[in-house]
Amino acid sequence: MTVVDLEKGVPQEAPEDASADTADTAVAAAAALPDVPRRIGGVTRSGVLSVFGAAASGLCVTVLLFGELAPFSGALGFFITAYLSFLGIYAVLTGLEEDGQAVRDRVMTVVLWTAGGLMFTALTMVVGFTAWRGREALPHANFFTQDMQAAGPLDPLTHGGIAHAMLGTLIMIAIALAITVPLGLACAVYLNQIPGRFSRFVRTIVEAMTALPSIVAGLMVYAVWILNLGMQKSGLAAGFAISVMMLPIVIRAADVVLRLVPGTLTEASEALGAPRWRTVWHVVLPTARSGLATAVILGTARGIGETSPVLLTAGFTAALNGDPTSGPMVSLPLAVFNFVKSPEPTMIARGFGAAAVLMALVLVLFVIARVIGGRGPGHQNKRQARRAVRASRRDTTRFAELHTPGLELFETGDRDNSGESNEPRGAGNGAPSPDAPAADNGEQSPADNAPAPADGESAPQGPLAPDDETVTGGAGGNEDLATGDSH
Amino acid sequence: MVSALKDSAGAESERPVPRRPSPARGLGDRIFRVQLTASGVIVLAIMAAVGLFLLLRAGQALRTRGIWDFLTTAQWQPDVHRFGIAAVLTGTLLIAAVAVTISVPLALGTALFISDIAPRPLRRTLVSMVDLMAAVPSVVYGLWGLFFLQQHVIGVSRWLSDWFGWIPFLHVDGTQPGEPLASQSVYTASTFVAGIVVALMVAPIQCSVMREVFAQAPAGEREGAYALGATRWGMIRAVVLPYGMGGIIGGTMLGLGRALGETIAVYLIISPVFTIQPHILQTGSNSVSSLIALHYGDASTFGMSALMAAGLALFLLTLAVNFTASSIVARSRSGAQSEA
Amino acid sequence: MSSQVINALRRLGILAALIGILGTIAGTPAVADSYTPIAGAGSTWAENAVDEWRRAVNQYGMRISYAGTGSSDGRRQFLSGTVDFAVSDIPFQTNPTDGSAAERPASGSYAYMPIVAGGTVFMYHLTVNGKKVTNLRLSGDVVTKIFTGVVKTWDDPVIKADNPGLQLPHRTIVPVVRSDGSGSTAQFTMWMANQHKALWNAYCAKVGRSGACGQTSYYPTVSGMIAQSGDLGVAGYVAQNYGEGAIGYVNYSYALNAHYPVAKILNHAGYYTEPTPQNVAVSLLKAKINTNKSSADYLTQQLDGVYNDSDRRNYPLSSYSYMILPLKVQGTFTKAKGKTLGAFSYYFMCQGQQQAPKLGYSPLPINLVRAGFDQIRRIPGVQAQNINIKNCNNPTFTANGENKLAQTAPYPAACDKKGAAPCTSGSGGATTGSGSSSGGSSGGSTGSTGTSTSGGTTGGNGSGSAGGGSAQPSVDPDTGQTISPGDATGSASGGTGTGADGTVALAQPVAVATGHGWTGTQTLMLLAAVLVFGLLLLPSLVSRLVGTKADGTGTGTGNSRSDDGSSR
Repeated sequence: MTVVDLEKGVPQEAPEDASADTADTAVAAAAALPDVPRRIGGVTRSGVLSVFGAAASGLCVTVLLFGELAPFSGALGFFITAYLSFLGIYAVLTGLEEDGQAVRDRVMTVVLWTAGGLMFTALTMVVGFTAWRGREALPHANFFTQDMQAAGPLDPLTHGGIAHAMLGTLIMIAIALAITVPLGLACAVYLNQIPGRFSRFVRTIVEAMTALPSIVAGLMVYAVWILNLGMQKSGLAAGFAISVMMLPIVIRAADVVLRLVPGTLTEASEALGAPRWRTVWHVVLPTARSGLATAVILGTARGIGETSPVLLTAGFTAALNGDPTSGPMVSLPLAVFNFVKSPEPTMIARGFGAAAVLMALVLVLFVIARVIGGRGPGHQNKRQARRAVRASRRDTTRFAELHTPGLELFETGDRDNSGESNEPRGAGNGAPSPDAPAADNGEQSPADNAPAPADGESAPQGPLAPDDETVTGGAGGNEDLATGDSH
Repeated sequence: MVSALKDSAGAESERPVPRRPSPARGLGDRIFRVQLTASGVIVLAIMAAVGLFLLLRAGQALRTRGIWDFLTTAQWQPDVHRFGIAAVLTGTLLIAAVAVTISVPLALGTALFISDIAPRPLRRTLVSMVDLMAAVPSVVYGLWGLFFLQQHVIGVSRWLSDWFGWIPFLHVDGTQPGEPLASQSVYTASTFVAGIVVALMVAPIQCSVMREVFAQAPAGEREGAYALGATRWGMIRAVVLPYGMGGIIGGTMLGLGRALGETIAVYLIISPVFTIQPHILQTGSNSVSSLIALHYGDASTFGMSALMAAGLALFLLTLAVNFTASSIVARSRSGAQSEA
Repeated sequence: MSSQVINALRRLGILAALIGILGTIAGTPAVADSYTPIAGAGSTWAENAVDEWRRAVNQYGMRISYAGTGSSDGRRQFLSGTVDFAVSDIPFQTNPTDGSAAERPASGSYAYMPIVAGGTVFMYHLTVNGKKVTNLRLSGDVVTKIFTGVVKTWDDPVIKADNPGLQLPHRTIVPVVRSDGSGSTAQFTMWMANQHKALWNAYCAKVGRSGACGQTSYYPTVSGMIAQSGDLGVAGYVAQNYGEGAIGYVNYSYALNAHYPVAKILNHAGYYTEPTPQNVAVSLLKAKINTNKSSADYLTQQLDGVYNDSDRRNYPLSSYSYMILPLKVQGTFTKAKGKTLGAFSYYFMCQGQQQAPKLGYSPLPINLVRAGFDQIRRIPGVQAQNINIKNCNNPTFTANGENKLAQTAPYPAACDKKGAAPCTSGSGGATTGSGSSSGGSSGGSTGSTGTSTSGGTTGGNGSGSAGGGSAQPSVDPDTGQTISPGDATGSASGGTGTGADGTVALAQPVAVATGHGWTGTQTLMLLAAVLVFGLLLLPSLVSRLVGTKADGTGTGTGNSRSDDGSSR
């Protein structure tokens, strides 16, 4: 497999690797007479041939060893021996035409390919195995529409399903989100916006709590809510347990994202005289919106898949229960856990089916997170950039018409604007339109908060910050060059 | 609030005196601050309540037993006041050690592969895949371990114990090497199997932390290394690995913290024993989290306190690991910008 | 900020709406005669029966949730008021003998009601030549020895003594026990403590439980045992394909479901029996039921009589499982729930008992059903019914109140008598295909290499070995074969089956490393491997070395460059 991958992968890379190219030329310029520029990661005919040759001979040697000589057994031993002999032979083969460094490079490239391949194979196996074993249960429509109330342990897959678990999962995660999202985001904003000894303390505690094992979170809620307060095991208790577990995760992730919001933006907002809360509401949060969404969604994915807090707090039932405040409720992971304890093949099939559904749910959440959070804070896609350009062009014209800067400008501008498009004009206006800024203002804000000079064309490329970051990062890196090398 | 804002804005437009960014200006900001502080306080209260309650409830058991006895007793009979976490803690650490031993090379290799070796168009997909794997629920890994790995790993365990049984921790009691009728059961439900499953669980987490750090290795240094004639591996060794050392350690520790606290995957696989079981290939193991999952239901009031004490010990352990990780990452070159 | 509040409110509203919609969805299937859902937890021993009843009453609109979390957990949850009822195999442990904390339920707040009877069985997984052994027989002390680590292999003489003619392999016994607090464990340990006190106490002392541990819900484990949670976990482990050599104690029902055999246990009449519903019914005739209505332990069982019964059909490990009913409104329990619990109880005391034999349980006898009706009346909020006991449809008793099941119970076959050759029929959930397995076969499932005849088995008896041996003479048989020479009817068929089975089983070679440790052979092998590699790689290495040397002396550039590189 390694061989094939290598062959496929490498040719695509060579032209793309800009740094490699530059390095090539640099080496070429510097090197003396017979020195050929070092190829970095390119593919050569002899390279491919050596890979194939080494693979073939490694295989043959292993067959020889296994068949005739050594006391090995089993498929695994065969593969390990074959791989090791392949590596050795490949090293020698490459050594025939390259120097020691290049040999090491080639061998390590193969090793890293193998590590990557191994990891992805293993992970694909885990996911694939679950989906494969779930195939027996999944085609039955009743699996998604019924609960297990009417299905006994011996019933075939045409009876009963996991509707109760799916509903339970949704309710629990909704409760957890209702608690963690407002509280978590507000706390993250607090950590960023109101620095001080207290907020540092809170941050430390939150960081400490990310280490809280989920079972301990469940145990806490079990001890306090159920044993001490005498409440029932219920969906609500499970929601609390998941919240306790998710809260630090969400806060921490949101904190990191908020810290990435470029200081220039907030400073610009402050310079315009916006109060702090407006800066946060219209600049910081929208800028970090995609990152925050990712933080929340990834936290959700984590919370949805947790079994242990739910195991302790939700009880177990086979019936559909839509009321989180009373009666036990199951979630998907808990249902999986309970199904697979049974030796019955149909129950195990149901367990795998439920696991596959759970994975699909996580996958969907993850894709959503990627779609929303794929871009860094403040990045715009083309449409948004065009919109921003249009908006600032309008601003420019308005500026030109009015000639009088001041409060009236904003108010009239706002009225005009709301008439002609649904473009929210966030900063500085008094009309509290609660969700529009939050929903749409994200990429708009830089332009809004810098309604500055007449040049509308250049304004929309607001987020200079990422560049800033890399620049400083690079500078810092260069200073430390020596230490880096001395390792 | 709106009017207040308007007033202040109006006032400002008349007298263009530069604003002093004072902590609170105007009613809106004051309310805003109060609200934010309140949320901070609530979160702190929740977190502190969890921690304090844990400490308080654990205290009862710890006082009765004494911390030293608690740490050195292997049995778990809280009701006769003979309990301790020597066995479960050893089990937890062994499982985590096996997991980290397997996952770190895998994660490191994969991270380097993604950041430097893999074809560029593939990288984004691979990154997404690794991140997705990190979000796969642990019960799925547990299923895989229970129904797939357990029976396929017996051969490996057996081979290891046959040939390396002279290494103490790879020894398996009750088997002679090469005994054809050796019971396969002695190789199941072991620390090793649980460790492999946990390794696969934490490897994506470690990988994604490491990759993120490697990706930040300054391009200037990379090109410098190339310019000096380094091969790609030479560049990785000279630039990427030293730069990302903090990320490697931090990622490893984060994975370790996760591995220590893992419950369900371990609970599904191991067969709990309450003796210190140093033989990782042999059946029987234990972990703090699966102890809690096993006994939370039938514990008496005092037993619950003992479980809390065990939970507290686990929490302190993961806490130490996490803090070490974050301080290492923060102190390293790469940690200055990244957040692991 | 106001918008933030509005946002939060909106979110809550959406949530509420969502819940409301879901609630209506959930509510629709409810039937006119509305019952409040109730939740219970406890025994996994009785879980199969409770699950079956729960499913059956679903049609009446009753929603019963039952979590099989173990008897100890059920009792604990009942005490803390988080469940409406509990099911436990043993009463509250007010004076525990194993040193665990005493459970102190408030008197008058609970009542016991027997719900179903059954046997705790020893489900095992043992194969000879790829065929399941299904007719294993064990006497009580052997069982105790197995679960206390005294007997460690299947070919131990004491096991052989119980199974004359059955050629057992030299395989390690893996006892599978319960890891959680369990009524099954309590029943089993109570039996051991009662019948084989010396062995059990010795074991208790060995594992460090203080003194005599008597009856305990937590099985003390030693290395080599597997502990699993729940009867399901134990049955599941034994049934795994790597569970070879395992034996675990579960309810009969789980062995039936898993299609695995159970060991027949020697009773005091000298017969090996298994807990068929009839046998359990007979056995429990000797159970002493506490009939003192004012006692807190009213209706609980005293099983000494069952253990020592001399009826040939007796299965010593028979017992009842109880439901613990709330008598007061407490915890989560309300009168509305009492109505559901009452209706549910009436159901399973009568109609529900019909399903018991099918599941591997034994239905309740008439006296307990009558007493149970009295107990149900005491539940707060119950709608008492006057059920005519004659129409109860309980298969245990006839209209005139006789214990039909016990009267019609068949006596064990002659081959189940102690000392007789084992019956050829299977047991537990593995009754089919029993002939072939007991017919047995010969040969080793093991190596084609001559790893000594450690099994020490003799081919000696019967046609089986001959058949096997002749089919594959080159293979060394080191497990034995099972054969039943004594049974005239069985031997013929067993013998013929043997040949075929033997050849099938023999066709599986197992990769076995011969000889172990580092011996001269290994050194030679390593040398050979090194030589092979040397042969392959040396020429190119040498040529390269020679080449570089020549290169280096010639120009020097190549050499210096590589030096540069490596010194960096």
